[in-house]
Amino acid sequence: MPKIYTWDQLFSRRQFIKGGLAAAAFGAAAGSGLLQPKPGLGDAQSTVTSTLSGTKYVYTICEQCVWRCGVIARVENGVVRKLEGNPDHPNNAGKLCPRGNAGIETLYSPSRVKFPLIRAGARGSGLWRRASWDEALTYTAGQMKKIKDKYGAKAMIFNSTDNLSQPFFETLLKAYGTPNYGTQRSLCFNSMTTGFLYTYGVAQPGTDYANCNYMIFSGRNLAEGISNIETQEMIDMVARGAKVVVLDPRFTKTAAKAEWLPIRPGTDLAFFLALINVLVNEKLYDVKFVSQYTQGFDELTKEVATYTPQWAEVQTEIPAGTIRRIAREFAASAPAAIAHPNWRTSNFLNSFQAERAIAVLNALVGNWAKPGGLIPDQSINTAKLGTLSHPSYPAAVGMRLDGVPWQFPMVPLAYGVLQVMRDNILTGKPYQAKGWLISRQNPVLSIPERQKTINAIMKLDFIGVIDIMANDTAYYADVILPESSYLERYDGLVPIGDEIFIRQPVIKPLYDTKSSLMIYKELAVKLGLGDFLPYQDEKDLLVQQLKPYTVSLEELERKGHYRVPNFKEDHSKDFAFQTSSGKIEIASGIMAQMGKKAVPTWEAPPKPGPDQFYLLTGKTAQHSQMFTQDNRWLLEIFPENKAWLHTTVARKLGVKTDDEVIIESEVGKIRIKAYVTEGIRPDSVFMVGGFGHVSKGLHFAYGRGASDSALHKSLADPISGSSALSQTFVRVSKA
Amino acid sequence: MTVRMGFVIITSRCIDCDACMVACRAENEVPIGFTRNWVRDSGAVGKFPIVKQMFEPGNCMHCEKPSCLSVCPTGATYKRADGIVLVDDTKCIGCKYCIEACPYDARFLNPVTGKADKCTFCLQRLEQGLKPACVQTCLGKARHSGDLNDPESVVSKLLNRYPARQLSPDAGTRPNIYYIDVPVAEIPSGT
Repeated sequence: MPKIYTWDQLFSRRQFIKGGLAAAAFGAAAGSGLLQPKPGLGDAQSTVTSTLSGTKYVYTICEQCVWRCGVIARVENGVVRKLEGNPDHPNNAGKLCPRGNAGIETLYSPSRVKFPLIRAGARGSGLWRRASWDEALTYTAGQMKKIKDKYGAKAMIFNSTDNLSQPFFETLLKAYGTPNYGTQRSLCFNSMTTGFLYTYGVAQPGTDYANCNYMIFSGRNLAEGISNIETQEMIDMVARGAKVVVLDPRFTKTAAKAEWLPIRPGTDLAFFLALINVLVNEKLYDVKFVSQYTQGFDELTKEVATYTPQWAEVQTEIPAGTIRRIAREFAASAPAAIAHPNWRTSNFLNSFQAERAIAVLNALVGNWAKPGGLIPDQSINTAKLGTLSHPSYPAAVGMRLDGVPWQFPMVPLAYGVLQVMRDNILTGKPYQAKGWLISRQNPVLSIPERQKTINAIMKLDFIGVIDIMANDTAYYADVILPESSYLERYDGLVPIGDEIFIRQPVIKPLYDTKSSLMIYKELAVKLGLGDFLPYQDEKDLLVQQLKPYTVSLEELERKGHYRVPNFKEDHSKDFAFQTSSGKIEIASGIMAQMGKKAVPTWEAPPKPGPDQFYLLTGKTAQHSQMFTQDNRWLLEIFPENKAWLHTTVARKLGVKTDDEVIIESEVGKIRIKAYVTEGIRPDSVFMVGGFGHVSKGLHFAYGRGASDSALHKSLADPISGSSALSQTFVRVSKA
Repeated sequence: MTVRMGFVIITSRCIDCDACMVACRAENEVPIGFTRNWVRDSGAVGKFPIVKQMFEPGNCMHCEKPSCLSVCPTGATYKRADGIVLVDDTKCIGCKYCIEACPYDARFLNPVTGKADKCTFCLQRLEQGLKPACVQTCLGKARHSGDLNDPESVVSKLLNRYPARQLSPDAGTRPNIYYIDVPVAEIPSGT
């Protein structure tokens, strides 16, 4: 009989200490100084000596979020002591955010999964047995083969999130032959990317903060949703006196640096339509640019005629005078003025229209490819890596479970609609999914309506998870294939502009874990698909990626990056818009083709009923989505999420900050501490996402705060597939 | 002229991300539950929708006349010639007098060492020509450090150009952290 472990046994401190070297490392990192006495302060000699002996500095790339900052790790005698920003890296210019600084705690966390695990009780029972890699991979491949043989490859769902080795996961799923692949996109910024794609033919144009004099944010909170260099540039922009306007029902830390407009949730679209109305009526747009590069202006003129600032005031609760003033200021600053594309905007089903209005507003002031304006697609000006040749993929047979394109004809194939895929595991339509392989995603917490996701998992024949920690989805899995943390592994190389950057192991893996590159590869071999990932090991892959260049892998490892010599930027295609008309489509050809109104148009969002509140969600600077809440260093600075309530609401309920409240939506109910503030609209409740973990394998995150995904309804915008997270209304009562 | 080490903190450039707190924890192995530095958040001040919010980073002020020093019964707390206030762990008996005496609440009793603990100006970094960890990592370039007596230092140049304040000057300790609240468009170059 193999030994059966419970979660508590698997992740107890005692179990951990037995880990030998790893335990020593943990002790040191936790501050108890087991490995090395701290040099006496003021004792220069001992400090220098300890620095000279056994200290090395290793270049790598952060993975505490998806932004990919350059890191220099200080390693002393095999223990990672400090992570600092790489000053030569364009994503962060030498700085690390709190999450990046806390990477050491992720590495040495007692919640790491230390060896492969196979479920030894009912799904979600928390009973596991240790497996060898060979057994765990054989088991995983066996389950995947069985499903393919019996139901076809389509019955297997693959799921991942933005990461450096994601292309190789995609290779695996294409080789396997399933059409069903889900990413975080529809939970994040589908409305932005489709809105801009159907206007400019560019899904995500950049923004030139450095030269911008007027910025309107309506869904990008850079002080709390940190994208390192962009956050730095935003701070610089404010410091040099550029105007920043923030539309948000909540007073964010970005709003604290700007003119705050506490807009009624779901009405950002009305605000932007009214700005367009003023620009058109007062002829404040760039006439030459509009006639040269756009199509559909006349249709727009007719459509926006009734969208006056007075009309928008009723919708948005922002005074008409303010809207008119901002329109004039914005036009006066153009073309160094940007209505930011955002990531999410108001998070309603009308967000696609809001993003279209934002895209069109930018076009009207002609800020495309101008200093201080929108930056065209830079992928053409990015160094190209060597590719691996492999056999041609089998045809992916079957309709997609996420409804693209048969239910969502306008959602680009690569984006998908993850929440619908989950729903169709439950409906069994158009066919029954049988298996789910998940790498670096946590659907139990990321997809709205958590209970549905757990029910969907229970319905499957097989669920496998690849992750560094026992996240909530891993808790319900049949097998956990433990990945090495980002400080212990290689990933695919990262080209940025004319430079190529490397993530490499800073120390050897502490446990019996592997890089995802090798997990995918070895799984492919077990599935008989090894030829699709033609590399022996990570270094072999990286050498192949470097083939077009003269630099050796050793040199890249030593310097952390490589600059391609004589790289010439090509801007000849900046104005070659990849739309059906070849122009910026104020009137979208695709929308017209689909029988929809081609120009941005008003769609009234629903309002909460009596005694209901809008439920708003967002980020905090101290955590990344749902994967850092177990990090104790970050819990020190942000220990749990709370429900923001306006002072008047709290008074009515009789609650003070830190009193517990019950929040209830149509689909779920949570208990959470209140945070009473003047910085939120009285009709709204806000909570940071990512808390309320259900996995007992997450020692420190388990039971902290509450999950917004337990409350969110599953809504998908029919055009972009975007999840309308804020279109959930809740009741609040004192606990 | 003597060296006078201190900090200049530009509150208008702080977004309260707390990277400085995590960087300090990593650099100085500060035990969980304690911190050598902080960012104070005013919360939303005012009445909806006219509100404002300020963030104020801080740490030991390495005062000219440190009250922690005068109450120390063993001479463990001392001020170096360059102005940096330190605790000599070999002399500290953990009596906590200094913790009570500090008007800025900058000290704590380290449960691992049993000694008074606080910001050391990252002396181990200073000796290698590096800035303190909190300054190095600051995304907003809000935190600056250097010799307040050196006209070529970043801190001196900032104080020359912008109005600054100290915290609780009434305490009479003459703190060496200066706060600039107005916008600072460009950080001057300097030592």
